[in-house]
Amino acid sequence: MAIFEGQRLDEARAIMARYPDGRQRSAVMPLLYLAQSVEGSVTRDALREIAELIGVRTAEIEAVATFYTMLRPRPTGTHLIAVCTNLSCALLGGNDLLEAAHEATGIPAGGEISDDGEFSVHEEECLGVCELAPVIQVNVANHDRVTPERVREIVGSLRSGDVPEPARGPAVESFKAASRILAGLEPLAEEGATA
Amino acid sequence: MNLTIDGKQVAVPAGTLLIRAAEQVGVEIPRFCDHPFLEPVGACRQCYVEIEGQRKLFTSCTTTATEGMVVKTQNTSDVAHEAQVANLEFLLLNHPLDCPICDRGGECPLQDQALAFGPGESRYREAKRVYPKPITLSPLVNLDRERCVLCARCTRFCDEISGDRFIEMFARGAAQQVRISAGEDFRSPFSGNTVQICPVGALTSTPYRFVARPFDLSTVDTVCPHCSAGCNMKLDMRAGEVVRQLARDNYDVNDAWLCDKGRSAFRFPDAPDRIATPLIRERGLEPASFGEVLTRVAEWTDGARVAILTGGRLMDEDYYALSKLARTVFRTNDLDHRRAGDTGAAAAERHAAAKPMSLTYDDVETAAAIVVVGLDAEQEVPILHLRLRKAARRGARIWVLHPRRTRLHDVATHVLCAPGDEARLLAGGANDTLDEALAAVREAGAGAVVLAGERPGAADAAKRAADATGARFQYVTRRANDRGALLAGVHPSLLPGGRELDDVDDVEAAWGPLMNREPGRDTMGILRACADREVDVVFLIGVDPLRDVPDAGLVRRALDNVPVKIVQSLELGSLEPFADAFLPASAFLEKDGHVSTWEGRGQRLRAIRGRDGISLADWEIFASMALACGGDLGFETLDQLHDEMGRLMAAREDGRSEPGAGTFPAEVEPGDALALFTYPLLVDEGRLSEGADELKAALGQEPFVELHPSDAAAAGIVDGGRATVRTDAGAADLPARVTEHIAAGAAFVPFNQPGLAANTLFSGRMVTRARITPAESDAAPEGAEAVGAATGGGA
Amino acid sequence: MSESHRVLTAHWHDPSVIPLAGYEAAGGYRALRASLGMSADELIQVVKDSGLRGRGGAGFPTGMKWSFVPRDSGKPTFVTVNFDESEPGTCNNRELVEREPHALIEGSAIAARAIDCHLAFIYVRGEYLWQGQVLQRALDEAYAAGYLGRGIMGGDYDLDIVLHRGAGAYICGEETALLSSLEGFRGQPRLRPPFPAVEGLYESPTVINNVETLMNVPHIVNNGADWFKSIGTEKAPGTKVFTISGKVERPGNYELPMGTPMRTLLEEHAGGVLGGRALKAWTPGGSSTPFLTADHLDVGLDFESVMEAGSLLGTGAIMVLDETDCMVEAARRLVEFYAHESCGKCTPCREGTWWAARVLGRIESGHGHEEDLPVMADMGENILFRAFCALADGAVSPIQSTLKHFMDEYEAHIREGRCPVTGRGPGRERGADHPAEDDRAVPDVTFAGAGPFEIQGVPS
Repeated sequence: MAIFEGQRLDEARAIMARYPDGRQRSAVMPLLYLAQSVEGSVTRDALREIAELIGVRTAEIEAVATFYTMLRPRPTGTHLIAVCTNLSCALLGGNDLLEAAHEATGIPAGGEISDDGEFSVHEEECLGVCELAPVIQVNVANHDRVTPERVREIVGSLRSGDVPEPARGPAVESFKAASRILAGLEPLAEEGATA
Repeated sequence: MNLTIDGKQVAVPAGTLLIRAAEQVGVEIPRFCDHPFLEPVGACRQCYVEIEGQRKLFTSCTTTATEGMVVKTQNTSDVAHEAQVANLEFLLLNHPLDCPICDRGGECPLQDQALAFGPGESRYREAKRVYPKPITLSPLVNLDRERCVLCARCTRFCDEISGDRFIEMFARGAAQQVRISAGEDFRSPFSGNTVQICPVGALTSTPYRFVARPFDLSTVDTVCPHCSAGCNMKLDMRAGEVVRQLARDNYDVNDAWLCDKGRSAFRFPDAPDRIATPLIRERGLEPASFGEVLTRVAEWTDGARVAILTGGRLMDEDYYALSKLARTVFRTNDLDHRRAGDTGAAAAERHAAAKPMSLTYDDVETAAAIVVVGLDAEQEVPILHLRLRKAARRGARIWVLHPRRTRLHDVATHVLCAPGDEARLLAGGANDTLDEALAAVREAGAGAVVLAGERPGAADAAKRAADATGARFQYVTRRANDRGALLAGVHPSLLPGGRELDDVDDVEAAWGPLMNREPGRDTMGILRACADREVDVVFLIGVDPLRDVPDAGLVRRALDNVPVKIVQSLELGSLEPFADAFLPASAFLEKDGHVSTWEGRGQRLRAIRGRDGISLADWEIFASMALACGGDLGFETLDQLHDEMGRLMAAREDGRSEPGAGTFPAEVEPGDALALFTYPLLVDEGRLSEGADELKAALGQEPFVELHPSDAAAAGIVDGGRATVRTDAGAADLPARVTEHIAAGAAFVPFNQPGLAANTLFSGRMVTRARITPAESDAAPEGAEAVGAATGGGA
Repeated sequence: MSESHRVLTAHWHDPSVIPLAGYEAAGGYRALRASLGMSADELIQVVKDSGLRGRGGAGFPTGMKWSFVPRDSGKPTFVTVNFDESEPGTCNNRELVEREPHALIEGSAIAARAIDCHLAFIYVRGEYLWQGQVLQRALDEAYAAGYLGRGIMGGDYDLDIVLHRGAGAYICGEETALLSSLEGFRGQPRLRPPFPAVEGLYESPTVINNVETLMNVPHIVNNGADWFKSIGTEKAPGTKVFTISGKVERPGNYELPMGTPMRTLLEEHAGGVLGGRALKAWTPGGSSTPFLTADHLDVGLDFESVMEAGSLLGTGAIMVLDETDCMVEAARRLVEFYAHESCGKCTPCREGTWWAARVLGRIESGHGHEEDLPVMADMGENILFRAFCALADGAVSPIQSTLKHFMDEYEAHIREGRCPVTGRGPGRERGADHPAEDDRAVPDVTFAGAGPFEIQGVPS
């Protein structure tokens, strides 16, 4: 089944229309986010369909998709926990948060996704919240001044279906939901943690 | 700009890069990512130079010369030298010690630089980056990622030059690597160029992998025998066997490029069925001597009605000798080199024959407005396609009038027209886009170019449009030396130099009196005459009409009925049941002489090895044949022939402009049949591609029939389904491709793919009427979609 | 502390300015209205006169940048707002947008007006998901109120602003890489010349400005160039929103006049070093700027003074390390950052950061060798100013400055086989000059996935 059909095709067209005529290639990144919001990661089908929409080769889309950290080519958990370990966060315990995240989610160091598909943990570079270090993001929503204990709490919450309120802004239900927002679209009405 | 490099003064045009300027004073600055035909990127950082007055070093590949600049290269600047050494250290950090098994060893810029000034020992104690290797980008190209220095020459070539963006850089940082998208192989007819320009052994050619070391090779400069582009090549041989063909730089012809067919299809001269000795049927096709065979030929042709068919493979000198032989010894004008004889291109032919070099590659590149009519350059003359893309990059506006979309579609505006409709559209007032094109052409005057190809009806219509707008024109045909044949008058109504049959003065001065001034029969006429027993002896020289002529049925009848068939070629092939005598010709590898590009540019062919067996160059056979028949062509050496030729074939005024005698319907008649047209794709079952297995694996296609959605819908045919194509001549069951990139009312089958010799569907022209219906069993065949869409109607 | 120096942060205590009504009530969009009544040349002149310099790190005079844009090229002009803020230690743009998003819109619109641009883009980093939403909401409000769109404020000037999100690449904060990314290509920097002002986005004249830079513009239009020049230093007028983080009591974003000494920021605003410990090292402008030490506390935080002290002001992102922090670890982590973020285009950055990260990792974990130090020094020399863009130069800063100021720590790691500050490491007996052969069995830096560098691509 095609990713970009029906309403999503309309959305894709609307995204492409944000850019000047003949410059629809600029829509690659939001289209990749949109595909990611549907499939949970950037799949081969997504690359092909986007290439067709824009009128370029699949390789040209894959070249862009593989350049960026937030476009994830491999299966990603429902919830993405991103932990900053760059300098300011590391100075205040960021590495401990990373360890706690791995432990709490059951993902071994070097692994990418928990066995039940619920979580992914990613070590991040500076997330731009240094004054409130150490920080993590849950589905790209900020949690500031986090402790290892808090990490375990958050993971526990997520396991029981509760997305904790972030430090600023509304909770983001899932990595897919985050991707949809990043595509510049309003969250879907029935947004939940379902695939 | 006047500047100083390493103390030497040099003057260069404004805009010249320092790296080029340095070359002019004999200084080669080391580089990887720089290439004269690619836009500078400044990625490898190897080419550092010091510029007086500047604090930082500059990359000479991205810096243009300015007046009074004082530049110091690695030869006179310690800082620049040390920067280059440091950069080399960085490049070698992760480079594997693959030299012993790497094809590039011995001709590798990285190796050369490391040897010249690189660190002798590595200071790197960490683990190197390793990747699984090699990965197959296509049946022709392999990639060893560890060797890659990420100069991006390959991806830039595919982006800037060929436009086939199959390979790209994926990931970033130290993980960056050249890749294809899984399932979308590197199906470009130009992929081999990336192997040639790769400065290390990351990209290697499958047919050449592990085959030879450069110091084992002897190299000869020659010209590619495959199409009229006339690409200059270097042939590498080891122990008498051709192991590799590379592009040779010629900025006037092929820049630095060669298509994959030119690179890989070199095994045909050594095909197992090559025959290097004369044969005679009466002795059961046993070897005979030239003397014996030519004596029989003389007997057969004495007072007989003789006709001559040839193709596009011979040299200029061969054709000249043949033209003279036909007229002075056999007294016939029944000779033709054209696949389908007259195709309504009389005015175009006369122009081409009379005006060689009136339009060159350079003219195409620098034109402001270009109209391409009836030509699929990427498939038929690939390097011309690249030159058209180059023109587009320089800002030329390009329009293509063709029954199906070509791979210029991203840089040119296409008007799809049914075959035969060109004249009506080019006359003006029938199509807004074309009118716009014609207006642009008119405005550009001599800066406008019209190129016409072999689609029936296209060439003369294009010539008329060119004449009406003042644009420069040339007729482009596909085969390697069609132009040489035309220039030499291997044509029923033309003498050498495009002279009409009654324009004999110069010719008779060289040849003696010409007895026969009646226009002869063209290819189709010859074949019909053979079938009707109105010809006694037919010569088939470097041609296989059973494969090449668009009327297989007629050719069979012709061969069945004509009493004597004399074949002169490298092999008998499908003519084996028919030949009464065989004369062994030498292959292009074994010949000295010239071939002419579509421009009419004669280029030197050089023998790389001795003649196979007792084969001879075609012109030599003709000369001996003349003597055996009681005549004399009057030359014994190539130089003598060449002198005589040169006098007769210098450029002259255009010939007549009215269309010639060929019958050709101006329009496709309405009705529920489609106009089925054909032409050979680049990679097909042609004789010259014999043995090029990797090429066919990479770029070959199954046969198919291509039609427009409106016609498909009317007939009930689905994309990926199968269709039955029925014409007056025959029928075929083929996979169907439905695409909007073909003119409505038209349908296309490729001429010669494995499994379909399309000439069984046609009746003497490269276009016919066809009824196309869904096949009996309409299940979509497996793999119908998987066939690479690298050409024409695809992406 | 004088409140008159709170220009950009004047309303940070007042969340009512976030929605449009509150922003208007506080005087918002007055400057835009005024700028519609000025000619492009007048606008450019006032910004030039103000001496405003880019706040994104390069410090290039903003008015001059705007003046380079040809308005008669026949091509459309573009303004691109660089909200990619990814320099480690930097968060001022983020908070500025969270607390007063309309100020960015107004500043961008004025910049657009100055170069006759009708379509502007805001490139926001992907990780700023919520901040992007805040901006989009503000954009929607601005459109609804007629501050954007056709005929803004009832006049005949049209302007559209489109939000474009990044996807996690620090290099996209580099001007030409940003444009490349915005055009839908890989975010790799491009050759200059041609400069973006002449041939930038979509081969057209383009101005790229930092968020903080643009947020100064409405104030300059409202209050005049002289007012702006009265704040800060002669060569660097205006204020700077400094970020201070790491080992301090009160990390945060603080707006102070350009040229404020580090000591003032550290002690008066950020409460001094955390727990009263001794300051060991600090960056003036994010990870790309060389570390300074306690010896430099009186350096004024402006472009010229910091440069004199041997570092760079950069983004004014101060990260503070104390006596319990290992400088080798800090250097290693920062160099790893550059290795992760290197775009890969050019040799010295791609290979140099790879190599440096590995050597530093080995030294940090107690497996260093004496030869590593001259190699690291060489590496720094061979990367600095040798790469395609300044990302590599940023990577060299932590290397060279830690080698310069903290050589003893490196030597101790190598000699002892463990960190002198944290005690971590295997330790080793050392008597001889050269390491024993079995010391070569160093632990390789491990990578996730099948092999060390299996492509981070879509599985087949």
